Amino acid sequence: MNCQEFQEALPHIVLESGGNAEEEAHLRSCPSCAILVQDLRYIADQAKLLLPMHDPSPRVWSNIERSLRSEGLIREGRMSLMGHITLTPQMNFPSQSKSWTPLGWAITLAAVIVSAVMLVNYHPVSPVSQEVLPSPAVSSLEGTDEQLMGQVAQQPAAVRSAYEDSLKKVNTYIADAKKAVDEDPSDQAAQQHLMGAYDQKAMLYEMGTVRSLQ
Amino acid sequence: MNLPYKTAAVSALVVLGVTFALAADTHKQTFNIAPSGTMNVINNAGSVVLRPATGRQASVSYTALSDKVETDCSSTPDGRRVEVRTHALAGQKPTPEESRVDYEIAVPAGVSVNISTSTASITIENLSGDFSLSSDTGQITVTGVTNSFVHVHSLTAPVTLNNLSGVHAEIMSTSGAVQMTSVTGPKVNVSTTGGDISYTGNFSGGGTYSLITHNGAISVSLPETASVDLSARSISGSVENDFPLHDKSHTTFIPTPGRSFAGTSHTGSSWVELQSFSGRIRVKKQ
Amino acid sequence: MISPELSETEAIERAKQGDAECFEALYGLHKRRVYSLCLRMTGNTAEAEDLTQEAFLQLYRKIATFRGESAFSTWLHRLAVNVVLMHLRKKGLPEISLDEALEPQHEDGPRKDIGARDNVLAGSIDRVNLERAIESLPPGYRIIFVLHDIEGYEHNEIAEMMGCSIGNSKSQLHKARMKLRDLLKLSRAERAARR
Repeated sequence: MNCQEFQEALPHIVLESGGNAEEEAHLRSCPSCAILVQDLRYIADQAKLLLPMHDPSPRVWSNIERSLRSEGLIREGRMSLMGHITLTPQMNFPSQSKSWTPLGWAITLAAVIVSAVMLVNYHPVSPVSQEVLPSPAVSSLEGTDEQLMGQVAQQPAAVRSAYEDSLKKVNTYIADAKKAVDEDPSDQAAQQHLMGAYDQKAMLYEMGTVRSLQ
Repeated sequence: MNLPYKTAAVSALVVLGVTFALAADTHKQTFNIAPSGTMNVINNAGSVVLRPATGRQASVSYTALSDKVETDCSSTPDGRRVEVRTHALAGQKPTPEESRVDYEIAVPAGVSVNISTSTASITIENLSGDFSLSSDTGQITVTGVTNSFVHVHSLTAPVTLNNLSGVHAEIMSTSGAVQMTSVTGPKVNVSTTGGDISYTGNFSGGGTYSLITHNGAISVSLPETASVDLSARSISGSVENDFPLHDKSHTTFIPTPGRSFAGTSHTGSSWVELQSFSGRIRVKKQ
Repeated sequence: MISPELSETEAIERAKQGDAECFEALYGLHKRRVYSLCLRMTGNTAEAEDLTQEAFLQLYRKIATFRGESAFSTWLHRLAVNVVLMHLRKKGLPEISLDEALEPQHEDGPRKDIGARDNVLAGSIDRVNLERAIESLPPGYRIIFVLHDIEGYEHNEIAEMMGCSIGNSKSQLHKARMKLRDLLKLSRAERAARR
């Protein structure tokens, strides 16, 4: 094997473990190729030692937080002792406002009132520990479907019917997607559907809450 | 009928007419709104139409069909925020018909507008800016919007998007059908639970397009000139394709006839992902 | 910051419930690595920041589906890589038509070292020079090198992510290393000449 043949084979040689007998024999006999391999190993080794060195600017987190709040993924109020999520209005960011903050204080007061009504009317089967709380995407949302319907009870019949029908469809979506994920946890499509189903449910709740306060 | 009675009858009609006219009066207000300002509109019933303003001011014209509701309009002194809100008068319980207010709003380009309705329809025409639209059952129509963020939430409201370009669109509908014609931009995400999704266009611009549904039907019609990297998958629904694609050498899933396929057309510059859980997916050449 | 009493696992569970502080704590823990990955793959700080933002947003939207089968950092890392690759695909960089980009690019491809006796590189390069050299790589070379040698992905994983063959991935990596060798030798020679 000559140098040209060796270097053509080099891309497919795993540097750490070495080549076949012929390739190794060439390395032993060719100082130039040996230096080349040594250099390439050194570069690969040094690359492994490269540590992440830089932080992104603070605006990155600001933007993330703003988006999360506008999507309702951040809930400032922690889970109450009775397992309910108390909603607070989204923060207003003047440069990118897509929220309802101008009504924020009214919504806050109304949300507190709604939460209080929920608390008064909520009869838990068993106490819920604050440390071990189920994901709101699953049990707390499902458990408050009736309360969502209560929130839209004052709406016209056609609107109430739209909420009820939508809730049923979305719950079916969640159930189907959960089943698919349980059957194959590595199925990314199923995971994507489950995430999408939860997003749909969250949208229903957000719209129902806003509607009840208007 | 003698003259006094005629006079009385005509007078009564006039009074009635005036009464209705008063109840259906159109009001108009204008506001200075900052270039990156925000307008929030809340109107449960009736309609909201948004069009371009000719100057830098926003104008709000509204017509209530009964005197049981009124409109509050306000703006901050710096013009960064304008609020438009329909509400029932104290002590009044208007019926859905009596709650109707029709709005015609003109805004300058670049303004953010948030519109929330229950049964009122929402129409946006020929604008650019950031638009967040939410309606339970009122039809949502967006036409001629460019270089904008379009965010739509719908329960059963049908959503129609026509001739949108340069948009980042996030459309979420439970049962409302989503119909798109010539919608292009860096990102277009549509998700429904049961609503059908249809797309007619070329997915141009090198963007990322994602159409996903639980059991709605997805229909895509694109010209042969479309340059796409297209994948379609259904967990338990059917997948049909008559658009010519080159097979991809590597995919993140194993294509299964009738359930999934993936391929590219031309340089595959736009990324198109169609996913359904149990709905039918159909892709065809225009 | 996560308090000493709160583990990452607990923070993840609380973040699933929408705990704002835990969102921020997880971001603080992982932002540097995600940002460094994005920066190395794109070579552009503004793009890297946007992609970091997008990666974390996608993470938080999907966090409810994280079931702990893999390490959280692994899950996040893979997500970040996909975000960057999707971005590069949209930009139409060599990554999206990798098979074309992997054809020999004679104008910047490495020379074949035949019969040359060079001094070894070992011990003569520092991190700063290596980072600079990586930044100078053509995008297609840089992506593969970052994914394999820095981030530790195997060729079969890279091939799947980028839609190329394993052979292409190996070939591209070799060219990247050869190019880096040239750049580092040049840099060393320039420093020596200035003394």
